[in-house]
Amino acid sequence: MSANIDPITASVIRHRLTAIVEEMGEAMLRTSYSQILNSSRDFSAALCDGQCRLVAQAEHIPVHVGAMPWAAKAVADYFGDDVYPGDLFLLNDPYHGGSHLPDVTAIVPVFVAGTLAFWSMNRAHHSDIGGATHGAYNPAATEIFQEGLRIPPLRLWSKGEVRQDLADMLAVNVRHPRDFRGDLAAQIGSVRLGERRLQALVEDFGAEVVLAAGEIILDGAERQARAEVARWRDGVYHGEAYLDDDGHGRSDIAIRATVTVNGSDVEVDLSESDPQTTSFVNSSFANMRSAVAQTFAYLIDPEIPKNDGALRPLSVKAKQGTIVWADDGLPVTMCTSHCSNEIIEAVTVALAQACPDQANAGWGRRLRIAIKGKDPRNGKTFIWHMFHARPGAGASPGGDGWHTAGEWHSAGGLKFGSVEVAEVRFPLFFRRHEFRPDSGGEGTHRGGCGAEMEMVVECDGPAVANTAGDGLRYGARGIHGGKDGAPHHYVQVDARGRATDLKSKEVGIPVQPGDVFHVQSGGGGGWGDPATRSKAAHDIDLRDGLVADGQA
Amino acid sequence: MYRIGVDVGGTFTDVVAVDDDGGVTLAKAPSTPQDQSIGVLEGLSRLAERLETTLPALLGETERIVHGTTVATNALLERKGAKVGLLTTEGHRDVLEMREGLKPDRYNLRLPPDPPLVPRYLRLGVKERLRPDGHLETPLDTNSLDAAIATLDEAGVDAVAICYLHAYRDATHERASAAAVKDALPDVYVTNSADVFPQIKEFERVSTTVVNAYVGPVLDRYLGRLGERLSEAGYHGPVLIMLSHGGVALISEAIRLAAGTVLSGPAGGVAGARYSASLLGSGNLIPFDMGGTSTDISLIVDGEPTLASDRGIAGQRIALPSLDIASIGAGGGSIARVDGGGVLHVGPESAGADPGPACYGRGGNAPAVTDASLVLGFLDPENFLGGREKLDIAAAETALDGLAEQLGVDRMAAAEGVHRVVNTNMAEGIRLVSVRRGVDPRRFALLSFGGAAGIHITDVARQLEIGRVFVPRVASVLSAWGMLATDLRYEVSRTHIGDTHALDADGLRGLYAEMEADGRKRLAASFDGEIRIRRSADMRYGEQIFEIDVPLDDVDWNGDDLLDQVAARFHRRHEELFTYALPDQDVVLVNARIAAIGVLPALPAEPTADAGAPAEPFAHRRVFMGDWHQAPVYDFDALAPGQQIAGPAIVESETTTVVLRAGDRAWTTPFRWLDIEIDKGDDA
Repeated sequence: MSANIDPITASVIRHRLTAIVEEMGEAMLRTSYSQILNSSRDFSAALCDGQCRLVAQAEHIPVHVGAMPWAAKAVADYFGDDVYPGDLFLLNDPYHGGSHLPDVTAIVPVFVAGTLAFWSMNRAHHSDIGGATHGAYNPAATEIFQEGLRIPPLRLWSKGEVRQDLADMLAVNVRHPRDFRGDLAAQIGSVRLGERRLQALVEDFGAEVVLAAGEIILDGAERQARAEVARWRDGVYHGEAYLDDDGHGRSDIAIRATVTVNGSDVEVDLSESDPQTTSFVNSSFANMRSAVAQTFAYLIDPEIPKNDGALRPLSVKAKQGTIVWADDGLPVTMCTSHCSNEIIEAVTVALAQACPDQANAGWGRRLRIAIKGKDPRNGKTFIWHMFHARPGAGASPGGDGWHTAGEWHSAGGLKFGSVEVAEVRFPLFFRRHEFRPDSGGEGTHRGGCGAEMEMVVECDGPAVANTAGDGLRYGARGIHGGKDGAPHHYVQVDARGRATDLKSKEVGIPVQPGDVFHVQSGGGGGWGDPATRSKAAHDIDLRDGLVADGQA
Repeated sequence: MYRIGVDVGGTFTDVVAVDDDGGVTLAKAPSTPQDQSIGVLEGLSRLAERLETTLPALLGETERIVHGTTVATNALLERKGAKVGLLTTEGHRDVLEMREGLKPDRYNLRLPPDPPLVPRYLRLGVKERLRPDGHLETPLDTNSLDAAIATLDEAGVDAVAICYLHAYRDATHERASAAAVKDALPDVYVTNSADVFPQIKEFERVSTTVVNAYVGPVLDRYLGRLGERLSEAGYHGPVLIMLSHGGVALISEAIRLAAGTVLSGPAGGVAGARYSASLLGSGNLIPFDMGGTSTDISLIVDGEPTLASDRGIAGQRIALPSLDIASIGAGGGSIARVDGGGVLHVGPESAGADPGPACYGRGGNAPAVTDASLVLGFLDPENFLGGREKLDIAAAETALDGLAEQLGVDRMAAAEGVHRVVNTNMAEGIRLVSVRRGVDPRRFALLSFGGAAGIHITDVARQLEIGRVFVPRVASVLSAWGMLATDLRYEVSRTHIGDTHALDADGLRGLYAEMEADGRKRLAASFDGEIRIRRSADMRYGEQIFEIDVPLDDVDWNGDDLLDQVAARFHRRHEELFTYALPDQDVVLVNARIAAIGVLPALPAEPTADAGAPAEPFAHRRVFMGDWHQAPVYDFDALAPGQQIAGPAIVESETTTVVLRAGDRAWTTPFRWLDIEIDKGDDA
């Protein structure tokens, strides 16, 4: 099928495709309505080819890398030939190509000379998707039905006409229909832009040339990735990582990776991971595949494009019914952070033995707090989600970890909002929001520090808090002799000074006016033996108060 | 009398004089990075020579010097700024280094952290705290302030930045602290956030204030030296500094707000483009400034450049309003390489000026864009930069042969490939800027300037389906020239959060009146001409985070429906930018802004030349455009107004080369600029 095209034309088309996904992302960023999208940028734009192979993806949130083709496949499998120009599909169901329910994917088929040649795709995290709790993170859920509205592959637009009754049905099932509609409109604008730009590309070069260039681009990325893996040490390696608990009584849930490096191939086998649980820390299949793809993307040269070709050296084995691949019907909302982080860490720990100069130490875990109460200043109900107090990044062969850069799955891509703005918009008072000294794991290179936050809740009457996350017992993993980062420690202190340690998966925590949340987020893991840290680096840490005097 | 524009670039310092009749004289001198004022004086001397006078005589006849400087920019890029101490609200000393949780270069997990401009031991918490409503939570504790000052004194800082939480609301604590620092450390540069950037969002405010402290002392020293040299040479008139927002300010104000000069250089180019737009009567222009290492792109919409407040440079956030200039890592020196997957890339790595492209013959051997231009016949090896430099075509060929071998194509295909890729990247860069601003590039004309732009511009235009390209005769010194057409500008902003239903119209009128009085007062201190006020506001819908800039100039401020009018302007602007408005939603006004503009006398129009006999090509050259063509080569400076040239053709001047491709047609305007109609063939 490969037309004979020159490498320069293929290069030009590659640059155009990259530009198209960037434009799709830019359009989304500027038109989305809710904070999680336009501020935290929790969305991705991607193009797959007619065979549902990822061709180009905008580099926003790493958690979506490698997840999108599964969504295209789900649509293609369900609708078969029943796909027409002007159609637009939605899905979010983790058991039909999605990752977790808040992530809604909009997909447009792009036809070239009458043949389906591309899928233009946008995935975005919606602020609410219905279900038992606001925002879908429901530690109490035992079934996916308590997490929100499931959307299997669904045709929202048919041959250029919106199916308004369906759109209204979706909007009526979420708590913020206005946000939902606004964000969905932005997603649709983004994928339509992708469609138009792809059509212009085909007009410029001809269908055959564009499709042939697609093959050349994927094959090229495969060559690059294989060249890297070929340099890694062959062998069979093991790595594991643990979740503290599932919040429903089970502790120390293991993700076990057996990784085989053989020539230019890498096989990741997660089959020995612990069985699935009843809670939202289960992973969906697509999310598990994404977590492994993400790990691989972190380890290879960052310049290699994230496309189907680059992931060809990678094969993945897992067993349905385990924590990494739950049976249909189980809750999974936490999975894009937990157990994604643990999957990434287990695979990284294993592969660190094959490519020691490329692997990072562990990054901090996610542990969010949400508070719902009444604002005494206007009498209105407020809902606040904590994005502050981010944990530290893992140290790397390149140097110390970044302070407060977040978790493996976002890797410094998730922005937290201004404390000043938070104080204006919510009845919250931030006494302290600073680095947490001594939280970064020691090593030749030190893990990044987490944060320390003291926040007073000045609500009118009682409020309610939920937590969702992990990492109160297991800190970010140190590697090559580096120490683990400090785990999280979250405490609620009441007006009389009584302190209660918070758990990581709690609902309905009562909050009284004047209660203080004292949050200490985890640090990143250290890289290399702490004894080999340079004196100069250690002196700077001492000078800057990042480590206590006398340590290491 | 003359007005003189001075633009210091990385390689050359450009100097332009405009006389009372609008006559333009240009001179260039090598830039002197260790002390830019040396190059500036050399440029002025060369200018005097060209005008057949002496430097003191020229300066004696000069009423105004406008200066674009890269001193602050370079201090940031090279990390050679001041040693800065930072005072913050106790409990919040790490805002600067937390960077809102963001890390650049998403997939590069092996990237080491960038050290902050102020290390942690010099970021000191002071006991004080304000509430967002202005309520005093904790009074300023002088003991903790004194202790912090003593620490900074001991550390020997050159500058102190002060940024307290909610200081945009009430600057009392910051100002008291600044006074205490000045008392204790009289030789130190002191700056506080409420005077630099009085707006909510602590990261943006602290980062901007710290940058101000970091570059302030450096700019202060440089402008001091420049003032002395000019004064010794006989100049006693005003020196105005080009600012990032496109206006100019007196030296004292530029030093006070040094962070506002980091885009001084490129802002000159945009100022030139804006002036060009008015001369051309073409309100929608995309200035395209392609130099050695990068291409700067911006937008002129309805005659005015767009501003942005989310700019940064060298990884530092500077939230002051600044011209919305996007920089793409593609220039004449950009290096072409083939990655492991066989894909050809051009840039962002650059051969710079030294060693430069292979054809410079200074030891560079990597194929650069200029090498491809030479091999394709677009540049004359004997006549580069007006014959001052010779280019080594054999070296360029060797460099491209290496690339061709990697690609498995012949030399000419490789050279053309370099152009196709770099042109694609630049065209896509323009598209991205357009998407961001919600405009369609096809409605715009391109304005080509900067040394390398003319070679690429027609192809870039074609890719974007842009039908018209202008090339000013002063293309290579457009920045220095454009600075002379700018006005004094002083920006005032206040954070004033409230939804438009809760706002009270009188309160809003009062706020703007107060800001206007402040702006007028600032300007009047050194200026007695006409002052114009432009009002705008940063607004958003209730749940959004990003504010957009909403012009409020045509609002009836005395109308009973003032708040409705303001909300209506916001909905309209939102729809322009984002394709939709939500008229039933709450609208929040976050920052009120005014720009006080001191109108400087207009630049006299350049005399137009009469149509004369069309100039003949002075040579013919073989150029490669898919195939070899024999193309006529014209001298830009010899073209007669009204003259028409059909592509393929080359138009050359001492400082720039314009390539017309088959089907392109150029006219010479009365100012002897090129006005090119692009052939919209279906050529990819």
